[in-house]
Amino acid sequence: MATNLLHYRGWTGQFRGPHFAMLSIARIALSQVLRRKLFWVLYAFGLLYFFMFFFSQYLLAWTESLPENEQSVNIGFFRTNPADFVRILRTTLRIDGSGEMYRNFFRFQGSMVVIILAMAGAVLVGNDFQFGSIPFYLAKPLSPWHYLFGKCLAVAVIVNLMTTVPALVLFIQYGMLTSWDYFVNDFKLCLGILGYGLELTVCLSLMLVATAGWLRRTVPMIMAWTTVFIFFRFLAGALVNGLQMSPHWRLMDLWNDTYLVGNEWLGVGADRIWPPRQPAVWEAEIVLGAVCLICLIYLTLRIRAVEIVR
Amino acid sequence: MPDLLDSANSSSGNRPLVVDAEPAPGQRSQAHGQPSVGLQAQSPPLLHFQHVSKWYGPVIGVNQVTLELRPGITGLVGANGAGKSTLLKLATGQLHPDIGTVRVLGQDAWSPAAKLHVGYCPDNDRFYEEMSGRKFIETMACLFGFSRAEARRRAGKCLEMVGMAGRAERRLRGYSKGMRQRIKLAQALVHDPKLLILDEPLAGIDPIGRQEFLILFQKLAAEDKCLVISSHELEQLEKLTDHVAVMARGRIAAVGTVSQIRDLLDDHPLSILIGSDRRSDLARALLSQPDVVGLDLTDGDSLIVRARNPRRFFQDFSHLVLEENIEVRHLETLDDSAHAVLGYLLGGNPNHGKK
Amino acid sequence: MQIDKPVTSSSPLPLARSPFRAWLYLVGLSCQRQARSRQMVWIALILLGLATAFIAVNTAAGRWGMDHWRSPQGYGLTYRSWWLAEWWSTRRIPGQMPSAGPDAILAAWQAALDRSGFFVFSDWIVFRTFLSFLLPIWSLSFATEAIGGEQESGNMVWLLSRPMSRPAIYLAKFVALLPWGLGLNLGGFGLLCLVGGWPGQLAFRLYWPAVLAGSLAFCSLFHLMGACFRRPAVVAIVYSFFLESVLGNMPGYMKRISIGFYTRCLMFESIEERGLSLPEKPSIFLPVDGTTAWLILAGLTILFLLVGMVVFSRVEYHEMN
Repeated sequence: MATNLLHYRGWTGQFRGPHFAMLSIARIALSQVLRRKLFWVLYAFGLLYFFMFFFSQYLLAWTESLPENEQSVNIGFFRTNPADFVRILRTTLRIDGSGEMYRNFFRFQGSMVVIILAMAGAVLVGNDFQFGSIPFYLAKPLSPWHYLFGKCLAVAVIVNLMTTVPALVLFIQYGMLTSWDYFVNDFKLCLGILGYGLELTVCLSLMLVATAGWLRRTVPMIMAWTTVFIFFRFLAGALVNGLQMSPHWRLMDLWNDTYLVGNEWLGVGADRIWPPRQPAVWEAEIVLGAVCLICLIYLTLRIRAVEIVR
Repeated sequence: MPDLLDSANSSSGNRPLVVDAEPAPGQRSQAHGQPSVGLQAQSPPLLHFQHVSKWYGPVIGVNQVTLELRPGITGLVGANGAGKSTLLKLATGQLHPDIGTVRVLGQDAWSPAAKLHVGYCPDNDRFYEEMSGRKFIETMACLFGFSRAEARRRAGKCLEMVGMAGRAERRLRGYSKGMRQRIKLAQALVHDPKLLILDEPLAGIDPIGRQEFLILFQKLAAEDKCLVISSHELEQLEKLTDHVAVMARGRIAAVGTVSQIRDLLDDHPLSILIGSDRRSDLARALLSQPDVVGLDLTDGDSLIVRARNPRRFFQDFSHLVLEENIEVRHLETLDDSAHAVLGYLLGGNPNHGKK
Repeated sequence: MQIDKPVTSSSPLPLARSPFRAWLYLVGLSCQRQARSRQMVWIALILLGLATAFIAVNTAAGRWGMDHWRSPQGYGLTYRSWWLAEWWSTRRIPGQMPSAGPDAILAAWQAALDRSGFFVFSDWIVFRTFLSFLLPIWSLSFATEAIGGEQESGNMVWLLSRPMSRPAIYLAKFVALLPWGLGLNLGGFGLLCLVGGWPGQLAFRLYWPAVLAGSLAFCSLFHLMGACFRRPAVVAIVYSFFLESVLGNMPGYMKRISIGFYTRCLMFESIEERGLSLPEKPSIFLPVDGTTAWLILAGLTILFLLVGMVVFSRVEYHEMN
């Protein structure tokens, strides 16, 4: 009776399958994160490195376009020799449109990506468990896997907003500032950027959803997340650089593992990897694969258990 | 005579209807024959809102509320989003009014001195889940500054009062909704406050428990305490008290007894269902009465008459049926309840959903 | 099911209450409730355990010194081998007395190698691992949970409806977190140093005042964040692992904005007093003297506490949604 009073037409379309629910779940999850001011503050911090690369490329292109006999040039409030400036940008900062430049960009973004994901994990998944939203999802005709992959999709969007998308913008900018041949000759770099982004997406989203599903509250989740990505980085550095132990200890630093695999994607030679004394790429790949597998197994076991609603 | 309160500067021009007088002779509360305890105009106010407004960003939660509450039971009723919880949080010092003052026994409600006299039973359902019920009450008592022995003694008393003495050793996370509600009430009573702010205290309580709660509330009111009870259970509130404050869109729409507020609703004549064998004669006679504004014949032998000024109408009606020698088999007011009053004040259909 | 009959209240009991007793009870309750977040405590202990295990293994293997370092890095001779090679080279001609110059160099080299364990431990364990990660994370875990945890769990109403002033509640929460914050930071640091052999024990004797001062300042700051923000833990890690890192590594005087800088200054001064050299060039690091660092850290602790009390006394806490 109530429906008649609303004067709605009956639904004559076809219901889409549960796979489309993943998009809806991702959209809702993203809106929960994106509406928070804190996310945008963190994102602004995260864009600092992007702007550093962006304006460095611009300055490089401008400086290289100056006449050869130009001895000094004003950069903001500073006066410098153009040749020195170009040398600093190209050799020290590696602003040269090579795979190394994009690899460095991905690496520098690491700290902010970790921090943003720590916040996102608590909001995306932790809140669902803590405030009892899970039954609303599971009451719909979709499996828990759809819920999980929907959340992974939301995480993927955040990761790519911080890494892949800015890197592609840098790629396009460099090509436009130098020559169109860059897009043709170095198209593999574009694929490398996408590959590196895909690798980060898969690894980080699985790890984040698994961590947030295990530790639902914000502080424990943040502690675990920073332990994996920051503490193990410090520890690996101490063991390998400080105590001169085997480079295999670096395998515990998961961000470094993604960095090594990303080098492969971007075609960067092993001699250009920093810091030195690194494990082999295949070892890093095995570690990442194992971590993803463990997360998947954990999620499988987790979603099989019945969630008791208090 | 009921007075109109000259207060709220509402832009719509609606003024709250306030009854701020002693009950008429013979007028008694519906429950237990006690006089309505919310209308002791001589005692100083325990809770005083003075021109209080509160905004949540661009949304106004409470709008120019002026209200004085004295010992007794006052029901706070209103639709969802009317501002009841905001008003109660202002009274318990959890929120600051943006304009105006809120005072408890003359003290600013935000101050610790005021909270000493306030017992608050919130509507949220969060506890220190790992504690037992008894431990939780004792903790709340200790946070008031009582010694452990004193806290234990008070907790025991309060648990008995709310009927949880036999189940107090279990952890709170294992309690049902009703048990949690009782524990909330117990912690509000543990320091013997003069002012009790109860936000939906009957939610989740079974019918027998509700009756126990109602008896308890009346006994507390008899001890000169002021109870402010926000509830959607209007039928239960009517059994408890007929002194209500009706909130709508952040304002106090009316304060007083239900029937007195009803009397003031000139736009909504009282509907009365009358059953009689001589329905037609009765209808003809009623139409000649000045207070009758309309009449409907229902199925069977009943009719519904709409009349202004119910008090005078009933006096005239009794004379009328005696003169015309008409037998009245059934007489019922259809919209004299808190439900109906609330409905009229809030603009809804008062009879919607009623049996 | 038994239904207990309600009992009417008898005559009101005398109000024998003590606000100070209430405050003390709140301190005790909050201290207990910090332990309630078992996940957090376990993760903190696991971190401590991992770090302790790694240090203990290296101590057992005697790897703190630079004797086993290689030059060129990764594949050359160890430093000890180089020293031995130099020593033998000074005694190549039979019967010839070794000259004083090379002997002095060798002696200095030997002394440096002998003392290198302390510097390696200080640089990699104390400054990089403990000061840059463990100290902030242990501090923020408990400090942000003090008020942030109550808000997140929806239990703030029980505290705010008691007759206790808000500054008193804030102070009680701070006092309650100190056993955990200081306990983990100082106690954890002590344990790490204890298993670090002689370099670790020397490091503890020299650095524990700095760790104490830094812990207090960090706890006070993160406690303030708990009062100001809805998700204080996230803000705290942004500060710890982004701002502190960026500002702390900036050239010039910018690093003086970070709390870690003053903690390092205290540590560096304690090294200098022992006649040992700093790991960073003073001309680049631009340290302040120990007294100044102490005053600033103490002042920051008190300032954050006072600001937090003011903020907490004014903020309205709505239910988390």
